[in-house]
Amino acid sequence: MTPTTAETPVSLQKEEVANMVFAAAQEMFVSMMGAEVQLLPEPDAGRSDVFDGVLSLIGLAGAVAGSGALICSSEVACDLSSRLLMSECPQVDAQTLDSVGEITNMIVGGLKNLIEPYTGELRMSVPTVIHGKNIFLRNSQADMAVAVRCGYPQGEFELTVRLSAARK
Amino acid sequence: MLIVDDSTAIRKILLRVLNQTGLALGQVHEAGDGKQALEVMALHEISLVLSDINMPNMDGLEFLRALRASERWRTVPVVMITTEGGQAKVQEAIELGAASYVRKPFSADLLRDKLAALLSQ
Repeated sequence: MTPTTAETPVSLQKEEVANMVFAAAQEMFVSMMGAEVQLLPEPDAGRSDVFDGVLSLIGLAGAVAGSGALICSSEVACDLSSRLLMSECPQVDAQTLDSVGEITNMIVGGLKNLIEPYTGELRMSVPTVIHGKNIFLRNSQADMAVAVRCGYPQGEFELTVRLSAARK
Repeated sequence: MLIVDDSTAIRKILLRVLNQTGLALGQVHEAGDGKQALEVMALHEISLVLSDINMPNMDGLEFLRALRASERWRTVPVVMITTEGGQAKVQEAIELGAASYVRKPFSADLLRDKLAALLSQ
């Protein structure tokens, strides 16, 4: 890996960022949930942009700007919340969304700490978490777009990271 | 004790760890940001603060700065618990007088050990 310069703000390779995303997810799961995640095959590029469930999004800003997101079904959101809080989650509610937002915050925070030596200091927004049906996700162009599918015995979730050189 | 974090999930987890480990000495208060935390501290005697850094309205570093500028709260120990792993933020928190620093995600054991060490001093 090559440390970034002003001319090449995203100097990391896509695979390196994907490995960092997975490492951050693994650290969060092992530390806070007492479980491990498995890396699943990359999402199908031709899949639908419309989904039902929960989307948790965090903005990144600095020499490199972009976002990190966690996408999962409502059932997985409830299971993640139950594991984190060690309490029942029969349906998605404000507590579930707060939990998924915090899980995203820890994963994106872990990624931020891993990539900062290559991008310079980054700032994170607070999470925005959306729950609904027929959510249509449209991303603008990014210099680098990474999608990592993570599985654990009760289900799976997807982590996406989009990075671009910040506009001046 | 006072837990300051904009995430109710993290506040619940910290409260659970404190209760499970017997470190919840007296009543544990909660606040969602630094501004709320100052309001809670004005009303109660707080012996230890666990605070996030990235929060809306007043972040953890501003909150810590306000405590250190106050005669009443100058010596209250503050443990920063945050996803921020950047050296600059850690250094700033330490220079402002944070007693300890725990990075999220954390294990209950690590948090218990840090708090137990701090409380034994």
